[in-house]
Amino acid sequence: MTEAVIRNKPGMASIKDMPLLQDGPPPGGFAPVRYARRIPTQGPSAIAIFLATFGAFAWGMYQVGQGNKKRRLMNRVIKEEKYAARRAILPLIQAEEDERFVKEWRKYLEDEARIMKNVPGWKVGENVYNSGRWMPPATGELRPEVW
Amino acid sequence: MAANVSAEDPVPTSAVLMAASKQIGLRCRNENVAFLKCKKKDADPEKCLDKGRDVTRCVFSLLRDLHQKCNKEMDEYSRCMYYHTDEFELCRKEQEAFEKACPLE
Repeated sequence: MTEAVIRNKPGMASIKDMPLLQDGPPPGGFAPVRYARRIPTQGPSAIAIFLATFGAFAWGMYQVGQGNKKRRLMNRVIKEEKYAARRAILPLIQAEEDERFVKEWRKYLEDEARIMKNVPGWKVGENVYNSGRWMPPATGELRPEVW
Repeated sequence: MAANVSAEDPVPTSAVLMAASKQIGLRCRNENVAFLKCKKKDADPEKCLDKGRDVTRCVFSLLRDLHQKCNKEMDEYSRCMYYHTDEFELCRKEQEAFEKACPLE
């Protein structure tokens, strides 16, 4: 009943003819609103960016190369000194090891002769290879008394 | 080899040998080269025993000589080498003192 009182139009036949009461735009419509994007195309171009990147990379790799060269030269002296020292000591170490090995080997040959005494046709002492060169014994253990 | 070593000789540990390596390389050069040539010809240890004994004798006599002439500097240098496991760069000071006391000539 209240709607009929508020939206009354004089001379209406039934409430089905009531005029609409809406919230609408002002007469003449709203002002136009910009919704299109406007990102300006400014700044360096693609070629400029690519060249700058490539230039930075090339300069960086050049610096890496220079640093490597300097480090190699400096390290070469240090390494040469270490290698020369090792080269000077090597014969002494090898000679001592040779003496120890020969002693052990002779003891081993004696043991072999004792063990294979009764086997006919066994030539004591070595040479399992036919090439004529001396090969170190390949028992898989270098110094059994150490292990 | 047992006859060459007596009680107060310097024990040839790696530190002592590395400390004296320049001297060894200089003074025992002929014996070293002869031994290496013999080894290159034939790898059999029994064939190069005598040259090996030459090398051992030369190095031990050199070590004894250094031990008598500049005992303190060599001990310091060997101790530094032992502490830094044979790293030459970390022992420059002791190396200079040693080379000043026992020059390489």
